Amino acid sequence: MQCANMLLRKIVRSSVLPFAAQHVMKKDLFPLSRTLSLSLCLKQDKSCEASEKLDLDEWKKVMKSSLQEEVSETVLEPRELSGLAAARETLEMWRLAGRAVPENISEEQLKTFMECPSKSAKKKYLKYLHLKELHKKIAKRKRDEKREGRLEAQDQASNTDETKKSSFICLWSSTMDKAYSWRAAQSMIFGQPLVFDMSYEKEMSLREVTNTVRQIVMSESSNRRSVDPFHIHFCNFKDDSLYHREFIKHYREAWGKLLITVTDQCYTEIFPKDKLIYLTADSPKVMKTFDHDKIYIVGSMVDKSIKTGVSLARAKRLGLETAALPLDKYLLWSSGAKNLTLDQMMHILLTLKDTADWEKALEFVPKRKCCGFVNKPVTELKKTLDLINTLKLGKAREKVEKKFAKKHPREYKIK
Amino acid sequence: VQPPEKPLQAEEWNKLRENFQLPEIFEEVMLNSMIRCNSPIDVAKSLLTHVAKRNGDIAYNVLVKYLTLCVQQGQVSEIRDVYDIMKVRFKVLESGAYSLLIKGLSNSDQWRMAFTLLEEVKKIVIPSRTCYESCIKAASRHQEMELAFQLYKEMLAKDVVPTLDLLQSFFNFSRGMKGAELQEELFGILLYLRENQIYPHRTFMRTIKLWFESVPGGNWKGHLTKITDSGQCPVCKHQLEDSNLTEEEYSNLSEKIIRDVIHGTDTFRKTSPKEFEAFQAFVENRLPFDIVIDGLNVSHIKSRKMQCENLFDAVNCLAKENARLLVLGRKHMLMNNSNWKREIMKEMQNKADFFFAENISEDDAFLLYATLRSGKHCRFVTRDFLRDHKACLSDSLTRHLFRKWQRGHQIAFYSSANGRSINFLSKKKVFPFIFFQQPALRYDCVVQTTGDTWHIPYKDVFEEKYSYQVPRKWLCIQQKS
Repeated sequence: MQCANMLLRKIVRSSVLPFAAQHVMKKDLFPLSRTLSLSLCLKQDKSCEASEKLDLDEWKKVMKSSLQEEVSETVLEPRELSGLAAARETLEMWRLAGRAVPENISEEQLKTFMECPSKSAKKKYLKYLHLKELHKKIAKRKRDEKREGRLEAQDQASNTDETKKSSFICLWSSTMDKAYSWRAAQSMIFGQPLVFDMSYEKEMSLREVTNTVRQIVMSESSNRRSVDPFHIHFCNFKDDSLYHREFIKHYREAWGKLLITVTDQCYTEIFPKDKLIYLTADSPKVMKTFDHDKIYIVGSMVDKSIKTGVSLARAKRLGLETAALPLDKYLLWSSGAKNLTLDQMMHILLTLKDTADWEKALEFVPKRKCCGFVNKPVTELKKTLDLINTLKLGKAREKVEKKFAKKHPREYKIK
Repeated sequence: VQPPEKPLQAEEWNKLRENFQLPEIFEEVMLNSMIRCNSPIDVAKSLLTHVAKRNGDIAYNVLVKYLTLCVQQGQVSEIRDVYDIMKVRFKVLESGAYSLLIKGLSNSDQWRMAFTLLEEVKKIVIPSRTCYESCIKAASRHQEMELAFQLYKEMLAKDVVPTLDLLQSFFNFSRGMKGAELQEELFGILLYLRENQIYPHRTFMRTIKLWFESVPGGNWKGHLTKITDSGQCPVCKHQLEDSNLTEEEYSNLSEKIIRDVIHGTDTFRKTSPKEFEAFQAFVENRLPFDIVIDGLNVSHIKSRKMQCENLFDAVNCLAKENARLLVLGRKHMLMNNSNWKREIMKEMQNKADFFFAENISEDDAFLLYATLRSGKHCRFVTRDFLRDHKACLSDSLTRHLFRKWQRGHQIAFYSSANGRSINFLSKKKVFPFIFFQQPALRYDCVVQTTGDTWHIPYKDVFEEKYSYQVPRKWLCIQQKS
């Protein structure tokens, strides 16, 4: 057999038959004995040219032979799968192909995925899940590392056992909580009201509502920690709304114990109209000073699609005064929308209340959105702005290129 | 990395791999660069053999990359082999691999297999338009026009938008073929262009012309031409379709604009109910207008001049025709300041009706309402493309109507290069004026037919055409009996 094989190979090699003929002949003539004969060939032909003794189609054989066992198993499974299972299967293939797809996906997420109206919506959702998974993994790894470090430190500490003397028992967090609560309770009686208008649920997608609630939770916590907190009101708050559900997810049982006022009434029913000021970036009026006698209203809305004039329309309908932050007056704006997140608004308002210092307050505007404070004549500022922009754009391009270069090998493109 | 020129031995691959920074993705990176350099397929094969021997398996993404290389080089037997391996190895494939397979096979003599694959794709997702395109082209290349049209219709039914290239290939492959049915199908494609206001490019237009002239016994003859401003075709003397909307379309559009643009989700976003009512009453009392002017837009045409002067020039120029003018503005224009002089405003108010909206209201919405309410003859003046208002309209049909109406009724001013005395082209007269005007077209610029003639507007490929511009060149096709 082996000799015949060699002979045939030589014939084929010396002949001018096209490559394809070689494949066909091999396939047809020696379906079973090829691996064996080939490995022997390889051993004998060590002195030959590299390309000559290489069997280029060997990978196919390896793939097919490793399949033989698996096939017998998979054949038993039904070929047609139900909707969810099929979707899961497709996702797995996408993951294998190197697309941004999460490794694990829950039933609920899979359903959301299948309900996405378009291909791009599906892609976006998967990418979101993928990134979420990635961040979770990284956080977990960091947590583990930290714990290990702590254990090590404990080991060392136990070696050098030493009793410390101090006049306070170490109860920082709970003591602080009590102090904060005390302040918040005082603000419920004497504090300046700050209204969150919770009537935008219809304008937002589910994810926007989730983001809104997260931002409000952050705002509430920074308010609680401040020296002189606001008395927070959630107005137009409907029970069993999406807002409500999300809040309970965040606060759990603490939701009932929050030191804020939650009501389904409108702010116009609780406060005198002439005291209310609706804060909105679309307002033609610019806020000059922070007024301690007024009640400011913030719309609890995240609008990723930039719906202009929604909150301004609300204020117009109710005939309320409106105001926008004097961003342009104090900051050299470079890019990004002028609407800020709710927690940024809260920080700014708290700082204004305490210090009345615009520069200090507007420190909380994200640095990427502005190039700095206005403190020079306008012409000079323009020059620097141009300079910054060219530098920035130049840098940005580099960044993009680097990113692309990093990403490129992992992606494959259909041409 | 630079791919090697010849197939390598396992040891050589190993060496290369070890020298690579990230050995885990070595194969991917290497195959990517092979695809980029279009390396010989044998080199890729030797890499795969090396991987298969080392791991006993080849990862899916590596296989897909190899497949990309095969498709790129049209290695049909390899494509088939890879497909066989993939099919047994994986329960389902993902859409990327499928579209590669379809693309690769449709160009070969095994093109029918691409159709089977397309059926498989349909089980997972809606196939992409390139998948459909490959299959349809393969079918029409082999003169199976019926099959091609069947797929084409299926594609349209699934809201997959065909490329111009695909549409062109239909005309290309049916050249010289007989059959009334085929002719109807191709006319259908031309009507598709009409309905979606798509303009073919020069090469596509040539293919259409060649097809018409090749129809056996059709006696079609095509000419390239330009249509005069009056809307008459210089070749066949046919009058092109009027740009005016039908009564039904017109009332439909007015209704939708009031509903979607002015009121939208909340009337307070653009105006307020009180203000809108006041405006409605104002318009009803003074109807009909001939020209409605967006005062603020016109006032910004020349930045060197005072804003009210710009407006004054425009009003003066348009008022000469004895037209009834309405100027829309905002209340701040009445404040006497450096840009808005009270005397000039007073003088203008003698020549035209003025309506001043609140400073935070949107005057464009009022502009649309007043023009539509005045009737079909009424035109409006603004440089604004009104895209944001078009975007407020809920369905694409109404958006098309809006575009058509806009083409026929909008007068756009542009400040001329030297700004002295440039002619201001209107439909009727020539005015000496410092602006020139993009005239409202009298005829409708879409693919159109009368049965024995076809008129097809086309664009030069290299000509820069903005979406708001319409092509000026036409293909006139007439049937001589």
